[in-house]
Amino acid sequence: MAQPWTVNGLTPDAVFRSAAGRIILTRWREMMSYQEGTLAGTDIEELHAMRVSSRRLRAAMDAFADAFPPREFRRYLRQVKRITDTLGDARDLDVTIAHLDALLVDLTSIDRPGVIGLISRYQAQREIETTHIASLFAQLENDGFSTQFEKWITQHTGIKIAKLRPAPPETP
Amino acid sequence: MAKPRPVKGIQPSRRLRPNARKILAVRIDEIYQYDGLVGDPRNITELHDMRIAFKRLRYLLEIFGEAFTHDLGPFLDEVKRLQDLLGDIHDCDVQVPMLVAHLAWLEAQESQSVTAMLLRRQRTSLSDDSDAALAEFTSRLNAARRADERPGIHTLIAQRRSARIALYEQFTAQWRRLKHERFRHRLETALGIAS
Repeated sequence: MAQPWTVNGLTPDAVFRSAAGRIILTRWREMMSYQEGTLAGTDIEELHAMRVSSRRLRAAMDAFADAFPPREFRRYLRQVKRITDTLGDARDLDVTIAHLDALLVDLTSIDRPGVIGLISRYQAQREIETTHIASLFAQLENDGFSTQFEKWITQHTGIKIAKLRPAPPETP
Repeated sequence: MAKPRPVKGIQPSRRLRPNARKILAVRIDEIYQYDGLVGDPRNITELHDMRIAFKRLRYLLEIFGEAFTHDLGPFLDEVKRLQDLLGDIHDCDVQVPMLVAHLAWLEAQESQSVTAMLLRRQRTSLSDDSDAALAEFTSRLNAARRADERPGIHTLIAQRRSARIALYEQFTAQWRRLKHERFRHRLETALGIAS
């Protein structure tokens, strides 16, 4: 599983509100760093990493909900939830297909046709999920969601993305 | 899915640690509210809700870990173990009905194919020789049927059901062990929220 990005400047005596800004902005950038690979669709691990990051982001938003005005918070959380759910549907199919594929070797010739048929059906569903992901990100792009979201977090926590400079952990 | 209980008294302008303690205390309590309910393997919803409660706690321990001097790693490992086991149980609980639904789908597909084949049969002629005609009809009928796909699905259903039984036994053993080892008390002490 992809390692979470380190949250720069987070100290044990941090103030709740500023910790919220640092963690949420870092998780947001971490998640979006996998967007290109997810849309390319050549490596299912990219989508998996994006989904894991989206769950970390959602958990951080839940944890720090009290740092934000409730109504707007719910609107932004709904969008993040949409991302997690859309990625989750595709990921569940990837896992199921891989699991069934692995089972095939040990199955008898009587059992194999059913599992092959099931895999084909899930593969067809997975194609549909790919289009859902593409249209979701196209919509977020059109709405300028990324800029809006980052500005909103900065406005309520005082943490600026330019100063925070979230980045992936350095590989040894 | 059970919604998380609201946490009262959060002060965003104060430090992270006292606020984190309030949130964590509620989330730990949420897990233990399922204690009496998960002793019955048929309580699918409660087992799923407990998994969500473990997941919430796991992420919170990761998020707030920085605010505590105590090493929360071993607690996180335990929480993750239980969350994974409950997750695997949930997968079985979801997959079995999906496979049963797939059997029904196969049946519907087969019925459509056979109907289409019979309609085609009315438009095309078969051999005058009755034996040859029967053989040809049987061959077309078998091509339209999907009966050969069913045994594999029944096998998958049986595998998932048996895995569910084994996973549930593992979960109850782990849950008993955590209680025996006073996991809650040790975690609350590490977080500074033990009463």
